[in-house]
Amino acid sequence: MTNPITADRRHFEDLAVGEVIELGRVTVSKEMITTFAREFDPFPFHLDEEIAKKSLLGGLASSGWQTAALSLRLLVDAFLGQVASMGGLGFSDLKWKKPVMKGDSIGGTVTIASLRRSRSQPGRGIVELDFDIRNQKDEPVMTMRLANLVELRHPEAPYPAASA
Amino acid sequence: MTRWFETITLDEPFPLGEHTFTADEIIRFGKAYDPQYFHTDPEAARHSHFGGLIASGWHTVSIGHRHMVDALEAEEQRLRGIGEEPGVSGPSPGVNKMEFKVPVRPGDTVRYTLTVTDKRPSNSIPGWGLLFNTITAHNQRDELVYRAELVGFSKLRDYRMPLRLVVLQALTRLPGLGKLLRRR
Repeated sequence: MTNPITADRRHFEDLAVGEVIELGRVTVSKEMITTFAREFDPFPFHLDEEIAKKSLLGGLASSGWQTAALSLRLLVDAFLGQVASMGGLGFSDLKWKKPVMKGDSIGGTVTIASLRRSRSQPGRGIVELDFDIRNQKDEPVMTMRLANLVELRHPEAPYPAASA
Repeated sequence: MTRWFETITLDEPFPLGEHTFTADEIIRFGKAYDPQYFHTDPEAARHSHFGGLIASGWHTVSIGHRHMVDALEAEEQRLRGIGEEPGVSGPSPGVNKMEFKVPVRPGDTVRYTLTVTDKRPSNSIPGWGLLFNTITAHNQRDELVYRAELVGFSKLRDYRMPLRLVVLQALTRLPGLGKLLRRR
């Protein structure tokens, strides 16, 4: 049963370990920071510039969850939107290395770190993606490893022999 | 939970409340941050293996974070109400592990729980401690939606800054010199 939405997209078989995806960039405005914070992260240091200056962040900075969500948006635009993605399984080692301050622009790269077929579901593969998100000064602001499910074009193909 | 680092108890589940997800908010978040067809288009989503619209995991997690912030705020008010000075929570350096288990569909009600599993003073930021938190989210059928292992900063109550740091901090307030020191 072919999925008409994803039929023409890149499938698991089309991906290769080491492929580097260049992300676009997004500039994080004060309004973006406070809009996200009001809904999802209303700590005073994400809402009020004066309080933010006195906090550990040293100024108005985006919620770490907003930085992560914006990074994912960049990945969907540059990659996942053209892939037969079946959604995320989770992530590991997410590190917020530096706050994203008002006016900063973030971008970076995502690298395919590993590919493996699901043992329990022959039609599915798992791609692991390493995020390296940087600000306009090329300073790392966030890294993480995301695991995402991708449809196989040929689920009937035999599994590759296990390496020793 | 905005208790002082010193008084935070380990392995005690702290209910953070629950949230019922609507199709509208799922699509709104999806369009802004995770525009994959199963998060934004109910018709197209029927062709996915999910069989319909589901919330982005980042949406479910962000709502969970909101509930944690609200619970911290409520605890702070409660402490002030009984005449106690609440603790201070700071930003988070990261998330060790996040597992998305069961998808969230429109109409699902998700219940969030926070448990502090470990704590220690920070090596990098004097005066602050690190909390190792686990957040779990369950739906109305008690199925696990996600499980997260997060790290958070919490200010130490019983901390006295060494003289060396007091002097350094005073020096960084001097114009010019502060910039020079911070650059190091």
